[in-house]
Amino acid sequence: MGKIKKKGVAGNARNFITRTQAVRKLQISLPDFRRLCIFKGIYPREPRNKKKANKGSTAPVTFYYTKDIQYLLHEPVLQKFRDHKTFSKKLSKALGRGDFSDAKRLEELHKPRIKLDHIIKERYPSFTDAIRDLDDALSTIFLFANLPSNRDIPAKTIETCARLANEFQHWVIRKRALRKSFLSIKGIYYQAEIQGQDVLWLVPYKFAQNVPSDVDFRIMLTFLDFYTTLLGFVMFRLYTVEGLVYPPKFDKTMDDKGAGLRAFLLESKRVGALEDGKEKEMVVKTKDVSKQLETLGEKIKEIEEKGEEETPTAISATEGEETVNEGLDKFTAIPSKDGTATDILQQPNADAGEGGKMANMFSEFTIYLSRETPREPLEFLLRSFGCKRIGWDAVLGEGSFTADDTDPSITHQIVDRPPMIGLPPMPAKKDGEDTEMGNNGTSGQRGKVMGRIYVQPQYIWDCVNAGRILRPDSYAQGAELPPHLSPWVKAKDGEYDPTAPVADDGESEEEEEAEEVKLVENGKNGVANEKESEEEEEEEEEEDEEWGGMDTELAGEGEEDSEEEEEEVEAVEIPSSEDEPSDDEELQHQRELEAEAKGLAYTDEKKSKKSEAKKKLEKEKQQKQAELERQKMMMTKKKRKLYERMEYGNKKKQDEKERLESKRRKIEREKKKGKN
Amino acid sequence: MTAKTSTRKRSRTAAEEEKAVLSSEDEFEIPEINGDESSDEEDFSPGDEDSEDEEEESSGDEIEDEIDSDEIPSEDESISKRNGTSNGDTTTGSDGEDTSDPIDNVKVVVGADGGPRYIYPEIDPVYDSDDTDVEETNTIGNIPLEYYENYPHVGYDINGKRIMRPAAGKALDTLLDSIELPKGWTGLIDKNSGAALNLTEEELEIVKKLQRSEITEDGYDPYPDLVEYFSNTVEQMPLSSAPEPKRRFIPSKHEQKRVMKIVKGIREGRILPYKPQAEKTDEPEFYDIWADDAPQKPDHIMNIPAPKLPPPTHDESYNPPAEYLPNETEKKDWEDQDPEDREKNYLPRSHKALRLVPGYNGFVNERFERCLDLYLAPRVRRNKLNIDPASLLPKLPSPDDLKPFPTTCATVYRGHEGRVRSVAADPSGVWVATGGDDGTVRVWEILTGRQVWKLKVSSDEAVDSVTWRPTSEGRILAAACGNEILLVVPPIFDSEEETHGKEILSAGFGYATNKEGKKEAPGTWSKPDSELEEEGVVVTITVRKTVKYIAWHRRGDYLVTVSPEDVRKAVCIHRVSTHLSQTPFKEKSVTKGIPQRVQFHPSKPLLFVATKRYIRIYDLAKAELSKTLKPGARWISSIDIHPQGDNLIVGSYDKRLLWHDLDLSTKPYRTLRYHDRGIRAVAFHRGGFPLFCSSSDDGTVQVFHGKIYSDLMENALIVPLKVLKGHKIVSHLGVLDVDWHPKQPWLFSAGADGTARLWN
Repeated sequence: MGKIKKKGVAGNARNFITRTQAVRKLQISLPDFRRLCIFKGIYPREPRNKKKANKGSTAPVTFYYTKDIQYLLHEPVLQKFRDHKTFSKKLSKALGRGDFSDAKRLEELHKPRIKLDHIIKERYPSFTDAIRDLDDALSTIFLFANLPSNRDIPAKTIETCARLANEFQHWVIRKRALRKSFLSIKGIYYQAEIQGQDVLWLVPYKFAQNVPSDVDFRIMLTFLDFYTTLLGFVMFRLYTVEGLVYPPKFDKTMDDKGAGLRAFLLESKRVGALEDGKEKEMVVKTKDVSKQLETLGEKIKEIEEKGEEETPTAISATEGEETVNEGLDKFTAIPSKDGTATDILQQPNADAGEGGKMANMFSEFTIYLSRETPREPLEFLLRSFGCKRIGWDAVLGEGSFTADDTDPSITHQIVDRPPMIGLPPMPAKKDGEDTEMGNNGTSGQRGKVMGRIYVQPQYIWDCVNAGRILRPDSYAQGAELPPHLSPWVKAKDGEYDPTAPVADDGESEEEEEAEEVKLVENGKNGVANEKESEEEEEEEEEEDEEWGGMDTELAGEGEEDSEEEEEEVEAVEIPSSEDEPSDDEELQHQRELEAEAKGLAYTDEKKSKKSEAKKKLEKEKQQKQAELERQKMMMTKKKRKLYERMEYGNKKKQDEKERLESKRRKIEREKKKGKN
Repeated sequence: MTAKTSTRKRSRTAAEEEKAVLSSEDEFEIPEINGDESSDEEDFSPGDEDSEDEEEESSGDEIEDEIDSDEIPSEDESISKRNGTSNGDTTTGSDGEDTSDPIDNVKVVVGADGGPRYIYPEIDPVYDSDDTDVEETNTIGNIPLEYYENYPHVGYDINGKRIMRPAAGKALDTLLDSIELPKGWTGLIDKNSGAALNLTEEELEIVKKLQRSEITEDGYDPYPDLVEYFSNTVEQMPLSSAPEPKRRFIPSKHEQKRVMKIVKGIREGRILPYKPQAEKTDEPEFYDIWADDAPQKPDHIMNIPAPKLPPPTHDESYNPPAEYLPNETEKKDWEDQDPEDREKNYLPRSHKALRLVPGYNGFVNERFERCLDLYLAPRVRRNKLNIDPASLLPKLPSPDDLKPFPTTCATVYRGHEGRVRSVAADPSGVWVATGGDDGTVRVWEILTGRQVWKLKVSSDEAVDSVTWRPTSEGRILAAACGNEILLVVPPIFDSEEETHGKEILSAGFGYATNKEGKKEAPGTWSKPDSELEEEGVVVTITVRKTVKYIAWHRRGDYLVTVSPEDVRKAVCIHRVSTHLSQTPFKEKSVTKGIPQRVQFHPSKPLLFVATKRYIRIYDLAKAELSKTLKPGARWISSIDIHPQGDNLIVGSYDKRLLWHDLDLSTKPYRTLRYHDRGIRAVAFHRGGFPLFCSSSDDGTVQVFHGKIYSDLMENALIVPLKVLKGHKIVSHLGVLDVDWHPKQPWLFSAGADGTARLWN
C-alpha cells in the first residue's frame, strides 16, 4: 500500500482559493480586488471537485486559482491602491475641514495615477495576443463614445473613447482591413482583419443611449480604463508599423462642426518630422503634383479644394520616387535545364486578385448621402472599400466632398425615404433615364436627379458582404428590400439556409391536409413522391443558379422582375401539386363511373395504395426505432447518456430547421395566394 | 533643631578653649571629639558671627580658665600632657586663633578725639538663638566676661542687680569633690547664668550619635523611596499651578524670519510651491510596447481565454427573412419567459427601412453583462465532442445475420391445472415434457401440441422439475415430485427403445441391496408401486427433503439433485447404473450457503453449485474447490453453462442476468438488466445456435444472441434479440422455466398461467 495521503495539501484543495480567502490574503477591499482582477484579467475557476476545493463544504462559493492570486501579491498596482487609500483619507480630511484649496491641490498633484503599461505587456506578451482580445475592447469603446456624459461618466472619458474609435476607424480605412458588416437590431457589426486575426465589434446606432440605473459604471469604467490603454498601445503599434505618426492630428474646429472622421489628419512618419508650416506647404505642393499627375478633370479639382483626406495617397505619390518598394518582390522560378520539376511557392498579393478588387469596390463611385441616412457608418464603410468621393447634405456635418446634391459627378445617391408623393411611381428599370424623362427640371425641388442611381443604405452592406457590386434594382428607393442576412452564418449540413429554396415535401403537405384537400391526392405513393421531390429539388437548384447569376443576364429589371422570378420558381413546384390533381380528379371520376357500371363498390385504388405505402413507411420507421433501441441497450450507461445528449442537441437543431422551413412554406403559400 | 545646634555650639566652644572641658571630656571619655570640633571650628571661622561668639566666649572662658587652672592644677597638668601628645596642635591652633580673632575683626579708626576708636563689626542678633528665652539672663550683652574679671559680679540681671559670681575656690572644690557628679554634668559653665551647664539625656544621646557619626534625629530616613513626580502616569492634579508662560503664546520670531525668507523666494520666483508632476510631461502616453515582440508561446494549461461573443445570426438582422419573425404565440412565450431563461435576449423584428430602426434599449446592459461575465463567471474548459452520435452506437450484426431466433408463439400446450413448473424437450426433438403444480408429468408432441402421455405422480405435491436423460438412446425422463425422484420411461417410444431404457434403469438393483446396512444412504432406490410401474416408472429415489432441481451428467449415468430445504445434505448425486446415492458435501459449511442450482460441466469433471450469492466450482476428480464466482447478485435463481463450458449465465431474482466468462474473471463480464421482475430461468441453446434466453416473472422471455469466438482475445458478443410476450402473469409469477429445442432454434417456456409454449 502506498503512503497515506494527507487531505487538503494537494490537488484541488491546494489549487483553488475562495474569493474571501483571496481578498484576505491580498489585504485589500473587495472593490479593489474586483478592479485588480479586471486589470489583470483574473477570473474565477470551476474546480473539478468543488467539495475537495472547499474543504468538504458544498456551499456555493467563487474559486480562484491559487497561483493567480499568489502572483497578484507583487503587483505594483496593488501598491497604488494602497496609496490611493491614504490619498483619499487626506482628501476627505481636507474636505472635512473645508479646506478646498488644499483638497484641490491634493487632487491635482498627489492623486496616485495607475499605469497599466506593464499589465498590458504582461497579459499580451505578443502583439497578436492583444489583437485577439480586441473584440470587447472595441465594442466597449464604441459604446462609450456614443454615451452621454453624466455624473458617473466624465466627459473626458467619452472624448478619449471617441478619439480612439475614430483613430481606429482611420487605420481600418487606410489598411482596407474591413471585411464584413451587418445591420442588426442592436447596432452595426463590423469585422476587420488585423494581422490575420478577425476582430468583430458592435457599434450602436446614433441615438441617445438608454443608460439604465442598475448598471454599475464603476466596473464598466474599470474595464474601459484597461481597454483604452490597450487600444492606445495597439493603435500606436498599428500606426507606427504603417509608417504614420501616432496621435494623428486632430482638428478641434472641424470636430465641433461635426466632421467626424474628417477631423483627423494622418501624417506620414517622414513628413511628420517636418515643421507645421512646412508640412502645410508640402500638402499644398502635393496637391499641385497630384493635379499634374492626375488629369481626371473637375471631380478631382473639387476633391482637392475640399481638402480631402487625400494626404496618405498624396504622400505616397510624392515619395514614390525616393522610396524603395516596400512590398514583396516577385519570385519567378527558373526552369531547370534538365527538366526536373521545382516547387512553386505561393505568394500573397495585395493588389491583384479578389482581395484587392474587393477592397476598392467603390473606388469608381461618387456617392452622395441624403440627409436621412446615417453618415458615420456609411462613410466608414464606403471609405474602407475604396470610395474617395463621398458627399453629404450639410445637415450631416462638415467634411463633405460636395454639399451640392445636384453635382453631376455623383454616380450613386443613398436614400432612405419613401419616394416623393405626387410623382408617378417609377418602374425600377433604367431609373436614371426615367428620371430624366419624368423630372427633368425638378432637381431643385428635391426630386430625383438624372444620371445617378438611387439606392437604399442596405445596398452598401449587401455589396460589402457579397464581396462584389450587386445589382441595385432591388434596393431602389421605396422598394421592398430583400432580407438582410448575417454574413457570419454559413449554413452547414442539416441547418436551415434562408437563401436556399425549401423543398415542398409531401409529408408536410399531408400535415396540412385540412387546409388544402386537393393537394392530398397529389402523391401517388410515398416512394414516388420522394423521388419526385428530389427531382424538384434538382430543378430548383438549377433554377437557383440561374437566379443567382441573373444580374449578368438580365439588365435593368427592377424589383417586380425578381418577384416574377420568384413566381417562376414557385411555378415549378405548382404543376406537381395543382395541375396534376385536376387530371387526377377526372380520372378518379371516370373510374368511379366505371365501377358503378360494373356494379362493384368503388375502392379508391390510389388511396389504398397510399395507405399501404404509409403503412410500409411506418413499419420501416418502427423497425428502425426497434433497431436503435436494441443498439442503445448494448451501450454502456455513460455512452448512452452522451448519445442521448447529442441526440437532444441534434433534435433541437432539426426542430428549429423544420420550424423555419414550415414557416417559410406557409409564407410562400400565402404570398402565392395573395397574388392569385 | 536651632536650640540644639546652639547648645552644641556652646559645648563645642567650651571644649575648644578650656582645659576644664578636657577634664570633663576625660570623664566622658570622648577624646576624639576635640579634633573633630576643632576642624569644625576652623570651618566656621570665616563666619562673622562665629568669631564674635568666640570672642565673647573666649573672654568668659579665660576667666574660667583661670579658675580652672587655679582649682585643679594637677589634673590640668596631666591633661595638658595628654593633650600635648594627642591633640597638641589643635589646642595651640585654636589658642592662636582666639588671640588673633579680636584683632582681625576690630577696625581701628581715628576717633573724633583723635584717639583710636575700635569699631567692632556689627552684631547680628541671632533671633533664633536660645539665649533670648533664658529667663534669668545677664544683661551685659556681648561684653566679654573677662571684663568682669576683677569684679565679684559677672553682670546684671534685668532688674539691674548684680549677678554675683558663683562661688569658687578651694572650699567649693572640696565640697564638689565630696559630692557625686550630677547627672548630665559637663563641667561647663553657662555663660549667662554662670552655673554649671548640664546636658539632658536627649542632648547626651545626640552627642553620642554624633560621635558614632549617625544621624541625630530620630526617624529620619536617609533613603526614602523615590517619588516620581514627572512620570508617565497622568496625575489628577497639576504639579504646578503656575500659569502658562507668555512666551508660549508669542509667535517665534526666528520662525517668522525663516518663513519670510521662503515667502520672498516664492515672490521672486526662486521657489515653486506646487511643482507640476514631472512624469506627466516626460513620458509619452503610448509607446511601442511590443517593440521586442516575444515569440508567441503556447498558453499555459490553466489559462482559459475568455470565449468571444458569437457573431450575430440572421434573426438579429434589422430586416430578416420573414420566417425568422416570431408569430403571436412565440412572441407571447418569449415575453412570458423570465429574462434569464430566454434563449436569446432579443425578439427578431423587421424594419422596412434603415431609418425606421430604433435605438436598442439593452445595449449598455448587454455590454455590462459581458463585462460581468468576463471577470465574474467561472471558466471551465469543456471538451466538445464533435462526432456523429451514430458513431457511438455499437456495431451490431444486422438482425438478418443473427437469424434464426424464436420470434412468435407457435404452439400452446394446454392441459395443466395450475402452474407449469418445468419444461424439457427430449433429445430427439419430438417430445416435450412438462411438470406442473397439479402433480402430473405430461409429454406433448412438439409440433402438434397434442398431449401424448400423462402421469399423475402425486395429488398434493407439485412436480418441480422434469428432465430428459441427455443421451441419444435410452429415453429416460427424470421427474422430481416432493422428496421423490422418478425415473420414467414413458410408453411413447417404440418398444425397442423402451426396453433399452428400462434395462439401463433396472441394471443397478443388485448393487443397492449389497450396500445396505452400512450406513443410512442419502437416497433410497426402490421399485414403484404397480400402478406407477404400469405407467412406465421404473425406479423411484427417495431423498430426505423436497427436490427442487434435477440435472443429468452428459453421459447419463449420474444425476444430481438439489433439495434446498435439507440443510446438511442438499446436493445428492445419484448413479443410475449402481442405484447408489451419495452426498458430496457432508457439511453445510462446505458449500457455505443453501445450494440453489447444481450443474455438471458439459465436458470436464466439474460440478457447479450455485448458492444464493456465489457459484462454486468443484473439481470432482480431485475432490476440491477449484473456483468461486461472484456474480454480485443477491439471490441467484438459476444458472446455465454454455455447451463449450467456458461461459456461464446466471439469472437472479434481483432482475439481473449475468454473463460470466470463466477465463476472464470471477466477476461477471456483462450484467444485463432488461427484465422488470426477477429472473426465474436461464438457458443456453445446446444445438449449435448461439442463443440464450432468460425468463422472468414479468411474463416475458428475452432471447439473446451470445456468440463466443474461438479466438481467446475476443470477448463474447452479446446482442439482445427478442422479447417474447405471451404468458400471463398469475399471482406475480410469470414464466417459470424455459428450455431450448435440441436442434432447432425453438424455445419452450412454462408459465404460471398453466400453459407451456413453443416459440419459433
